[in-house]
Amino acid sequence: MDSNKKYWKGLEELNQTPAFVESNKGEFAEPIPVEDVLNEAGLSTRAPRRDFLKALGFGLGAVTLAACNRTPVHKAVPYVIKPEEITPGIPNFYASSFNGQSLLVRTREGRPISVEANPNAVGLNQGTDATTVASVLDLYDMSKLQNPQIGGKDVEWSKLDSTVIAALNKAVSGGKQVVLVSDTINSPSTLAAIARFTTKYPTASHVQVDAISYSGIIEANKNTFGKAVVPSYHFANAQVVVSVAADFLGTWLSGEEHTQDYIKNRDHKSLKNGKMSRHIQFESGLSMTGSNADVRIAIKPSEEGAVLISLYNEITGQALAGGTTNAKAQVAIKLVAKELVNAKGSSVVVAGANDVNIQSLVNAINTQLGAYGAIIDLDNYSKQYQGSDLAFQQFLTAAKAGQVGVALFLNSNPVYSYFKSEDVKAALSKVDFSLSFSDRADETATETKAIAPRPTYLETWGDASAKEGLFTIIQPTINPVFNTRQVEQSLLVWAGDNTNIYDFVKQNWETNILAGTGKTWKDILQQGFVYKGTSTGSAYLAQVDVAAVASAIVAEAKKIAGDVELKLYESTGMRDGRYANNAYLQELPDPISKVTWDNYAALNPKFAEQLGVGENGTVTVEANGQSITLPALMQPGQAMGTVSVALGYGRTKVGKAGNKVGQNAYPLASLVNGTVQLSAKATVSKASNTYELAQTQTHHTIEGRNIIRETTFAKYLEDPNSESGRFSDTHKTYDLWNKFEQPGHKWVMAIDLNACTGCGACIVACSVENNVPVVGRDEVRRRREMHWLRIDRYYTIEENGTKFTEEKEIANVQDFENVTVVHQPMLCQHCEHAPCETVCPVLATVHSSEGLNHMAYNRCFGTRYCANNCPYKVRRFNWFNYWNDSRFDNYLNNEFTQLVLNPDVTTRSRGVMEKCSMCIQRIQAGKLQAKIENRKVKDGDIQMACQAACSANAIIFGDANDPESEVSKALRNERVYYVLEEINVQPNIGYMTKVRNTLEA
Amino acid sequence: MRNISSVLGRLAKSVSVSLVLLFAVTLTSHAQDLKEGASLFKANCTACHKIDKKLTGPALAGMTERHSEEWLIKWIHNSKLMVDQGDPVAVALFEEYNKLLMPAFTQFSDDQIKNIIAYVQDEEVKMAQAASAPAGGAAGGAASDDASSFMLIGMAALLLLAIGVIVVLNRVTRTLEKVIANNQTAIEAARLRNEAHEESRGLKFAQKFLKNKKLVGFTALLVVVLLSVVGWQGMWNIGVHEGYKPVQPIKFSHQIHAGVNQIECQYCHGGAFKSKNASIPSANVCMNCHNTITASDHYNGDVSPEILKLYRAVDWDPDTRTYGDNPRPIEWVRIHNLPDFAYFNHSQHVVVAGVECQTCHGPIETMEEVYQYSQLTMKWCIDCHKTTEVNADNKYYDQLIEAHEKLKKGEKMTAAMIGGLECGKCHY
Repeated sequence: MDSNKKYWKGLEELNQTPAFVESNKGEFAEPIPVEDVLNEAGLSTRAPRRDFLKALGFGLGAVTLAACNRTPVHKAVPYVIKPEEITPGIPNFYASSFNGQSLLVRTREGRPISVEANPNAVGLNQGTDATTVASVLDLYDMSKLQNPQIGGKDVEWSKLDSTVIAALNKAVSGGKQVVLVSDTINSPSTLAAIARFTTKYPTASHVQVDAISYSGIIEANKNTFGKAVVPSYHFANAQVVVSVAADFLGTWLSGEEHTQDYIKNRDHKSLKNGKMSRHIQFESGLSMTGSNADVRIAIKPSEEGAVLISLYNEITGQALAGGTTNAKAQVAIKLVAKELVNAKGSSVVVAGANDVNIQSLVNAINTQLGAYGAIIDLDNYSKQYQGSDLAFQQFLTAAKAGQVGVALFLNSNPVYSYFKSEDVKAALSKVDFSLSFSDRADETATETKAIAPRPTYLETWGDASAKEGLFTIIQPTINPVFNTRQVEQSLLVWAGDNTNIYDFVKQNWETNILAGTGKTWKDILQQGFVYKGTSTGSAYLAQVDVAAVASAIVAEAKKIAGDVELKLYESTGMRDGRYANNAYLQELPDPISKVTWDNYAALNPKFAEQLGVGENGTVTVEANGQSITLPALMQPGQAMGTVSVALGYGRTKVGKAGNKVGQNAYPLASLVNGTVQLSAKATVSKASNTYELAQTQTHHTIEGRNIIRETTFAKYLEDPNSESGRFSDTHKTYDLWNKFEQPGHKWVMAIDLNACTGCGACIVACSVENNVPVVGRDEVRRRREMHWLRIDRYYTIEENGTKFTEEKEIANVQDFENVTVVHQPMLCQHCEHAPCETVCPVLATVHSSEGLNHMAYNRCFGTRYCANNCPYKVRRFNWFNYWNDSRFDNYLNNEFTQLVLNPDVTTRSRGVMEKCSMCIQRIQAGKLQAKIENRKVKDGDIQMACQAACSANAIIFGDANDPESEVSKALRNERVYYVLEEINVQPNIGYMTKVRNTLEA
Repeated sequence: MRNISSVLGRLAKSVSVSLVLLFAVTLTSHAQDLKEGASLFKANCTACHKIDKKLTGPALAGMTERHSEEWLIKWIHNSKLMVDQGDPVAVALFEEYNKLLMPAFTQFSDDQIKNIIAYVQDEEVKMAQAASAPAGGAAGGAASDDASSFMLIGMAALLLLAIGVIVVLNRVTRTLEKVIANNQTAIEAARLRNEAHEESRGLKFAQKFLKNKKLVGFTALLVVVLLSVVGWQGMWNIGVHEGYKPVQPIKFSHQIHAGVNQIECQYCHGGAFKSKNASIPSANVCMNCHNTITASDHYNGDVSPEILKLYRAVDWDPDTRTYGDNPRPIEWVRIHNLPDFAYFNHSQHVVVAGVECQTCHGPIETMEEVYQYSQLTMKWCIDCHKTTEVNADNKYYDQLIEAHEKLKKGEKMTAAMIGGLECGKCHY
């Protein structure tokens, strides 16, 4: 029973563009020059005698010289005094935290090599987001400063201290302000250090400003509840979720924690119990969250408020003016409102706009739905974003007026991330003394007089409190690599306090945090966190003047309404731009567009057609009097008349990897009613030049094969087997090979397509664990990315309720707003009858008795036959020695950065094929541990890197020979199907059908 | 030469030792049991005391002069009591040695302690004798002279002998030259005759050989085969460093440590039982013993120069018995070099399979200097995996053994049978 739905990976495939058809003919981007060699001229070429002799002579000489080379002497240098806890070859784990998430840092011989979620933590405890997994690379970043600087010259810390203290005293005695500008700081010890600092210098103040601001929510909650906080959301308790432009599974607040909760109502366990939540998304650009929604309605940014007004009217029966006029949205809202009301107490509405009025209206709606308490928690509120756009405005005004004597920048880079960077520069020039704590000479730091570089979180003592009542520790896993000093230590020194930072943090914990918890400092170092909050919040009622709010919304919407509207959004990898120099994240394909190493202007294909922009075209986007030229990307699902541009790109002073990657879109933002707005009226015009984006989406085509199985929740309830295609294949199969027993282990994996949100954390985790090289933009364009695990994104299209099933019909589609998306993680399927194994002429890839497809790199000599023969296109060829080649200078080509490599995995050399090994180093280590402990391997002992990074629990790994293992249970699920089962390669990875909770089916 | 001097040296030593012994025995007034004293001393005291040097505790030489026998017995029985009671001498000692108390030896009888004291006195006298002998030289005369004077005399004698030989040989050459000059013509004739004969014989053989085409062919074939075999062997051994014995920065002897002293491998190479690396012990492990063991017996009371290198590495001053803050790691030369793409885990083999260290590393306990005993080639690994039976006691293997019994009853289950030959087990 084949699905009649048509999937396509990109518009190139849909339209069968000539370039796409051409590039699909061959397995590799460049044709193999067989013809050139075999044609007449090739074969009849005669090497001149002298050339032949020259070559022969050189060859002999080279071989002789090479043979003369003595075996290098390897030194073995043991510790002089070995730390008691270190055994060379065995990893140590330390509890730490990043962005407030409690983590375990894995170190080998004293160097951190990877991070994983702390499984015992409160909140996000399974999986991490991509930026967290990639953060280890930042420790080994060569672009960081190695010494403190004054005026661009390296100085001693003592010199810096005396300069700073003199400047501070001067400012205080002159009655001028001392301002510390930072992003949100929720670390209790940093705040304590700042408090000491501000006590010492009475004119000092602390301004918090976030590049991506949530001031709107804070202000709205202040107005409606009297609590100026960002609440925390518990999507696990929500059965109906309506999101208006909030990418809550991705970049909005704590997306990864939301994912973990949200998926609990949608994964295979929930479906097994016959339960699945509903998710309706209204948005302009296709976000990752929108791609996971059951119903997605494309709207313009100016319609966000109108949609919410209509929704409010439907829910309450009131008739506020200014509801949406969008026909599709009106229909959807009618249905959605009923669902929301029916699920009162377990339904919630979230909105992404950084606007006080919109957020106030959302508060009113959620009060009606009874979402406060179980779902929206205002008691154990989030402390991740406390920045105030207004406070930063005041700082700029004061600075421009010459009232600021000293400005200190901590985690803050306004010259890059503030929409009017000239204003910041002008303000800085009026400040007597300015200093940045940045770890590199970034855009702001180079404008300041001095830089006091801070170490990364892996080198510091500290803590965080991402949520009220939750405190996580940061403990160093390595000594500071460069001559850096913690910010807290610097502030203490300048405040005349010589307390060591360790003592300071410890003391702060013991007196302020641990009191009454019954835990000691040592417990915290071992457990990593303490939670003093409650499990759910109490109910709140919003006091909103709905009519006033609605009219304000309508007024604001008019300002940005236009033929073309711009929507700026935070990118998944770069975030606000702070991770721009992390090569892992630059090469992580965007969850939707699959673009790497660039930002772009996303346009609806029909809209692009109207503009006359084709493939590889560029457009100029103009908004708020600023304009930037960007490559155009035809994005199905993008609302007509809108353009979406990612923030976080276009940095100029971040380091070798991130400099001049993409364009800075911050200048297109604006300040309205005291909050930074990311939507604007815009114009888009075709630009003259062309630019090829490095996109991975069309690299490995599916050749029209039926590899996605999708059903609806209603059908699933009728028949759990629906659309899985399990019983379609009844013909007799024949084996070329003899059957063999697998009595030991049989390692298999189950992937739940319904749980996978496509975030890409697994891709980065796999790269970090398996030393997968980053290849750079040019090589990605040549289809040479090395990711062992990719997430394929498939579109299907519906228009006016009809599904398009034939290619020629799809060509007639007028409206590309209505697409649905399936994300499919694709990795080596470890086929029992692997096609790659039979074609390898040197037996470099062979099967193991445990069901794995082994790849012996030292045996491979690079014929690439295996890649040609792989039906899943998961084999990767090393075209270069990426870790030792000056052409790839932005990343691993230095001994310091190479310290990030996992010592248990070989780095592959040029000319060698590689692919997912199913983290065989982890399997072997897990088995050995069991043997040493004289027991069997327990289910859950061995975790794949991708699995450990997945907060949606979409990847389940284990032993199929153990009937009680999680994976065996998952694979007995009715939804399980095997990709390309019909070609009988017998893959060891089972997929579970995508289930969409749509109403019409 | 060296032989003679060492023989003479040894002779001199034994003579002097026997003389001293004789002298010493007559000196000891008490009829104490020196043997018992010696064994007790070595078993209980040497960890902290030396006779002529300060260690953790004071040097014992002259203790009978400093303290009465009664006091010593009391002290050894229970030093803490004495300090607690406020004995001024005891308190002073306690203060001098960083408030470290000597353990109480209540199990000793008075006589046993007396024996120890007697032994210490005896040793003290011997040392004094040994020290004074070379300087004075009066007591023993020529017989008690040390090796160096013997060597001097021996060398002089040899020099004389050599001069004699040179003179005699000169005479002989001169006589022979005279004889040659007298018979010049006769010799010339004989030489010519000989040459002609030789030439014709060689020529004849070559001609004969070249005529025999079969023989030539055969020989050529033989040479080719020989070269190929040598070449083949040579090629196979590229990168095989069997017997590799680099010079190490410290002349560490496994023969002394593992052989003579029977120290367990695990004491230093604990990693082999836990991790993939056997790991060279860190210098602090060496210092566990070597802060007292200096091998000074073999170096005239000085610390062994090799142990001094260790002290330099950890920055330990043996005189003040303190660590400095300038340690320098020891750069050993790695002997067993597996390529990076081969994964080998010691603990799997040592703990799980129960393989003896010697199986791969050879008779390590007899090696003065360690060398690479095994080939460390893949063939060598695989050969062993094919023949080695899996350790059936381990519960991990239960399932596999059960399956094996079903499939191949009676045959032993080798590592190879459960996947020990699969690429991905060692290459990833």
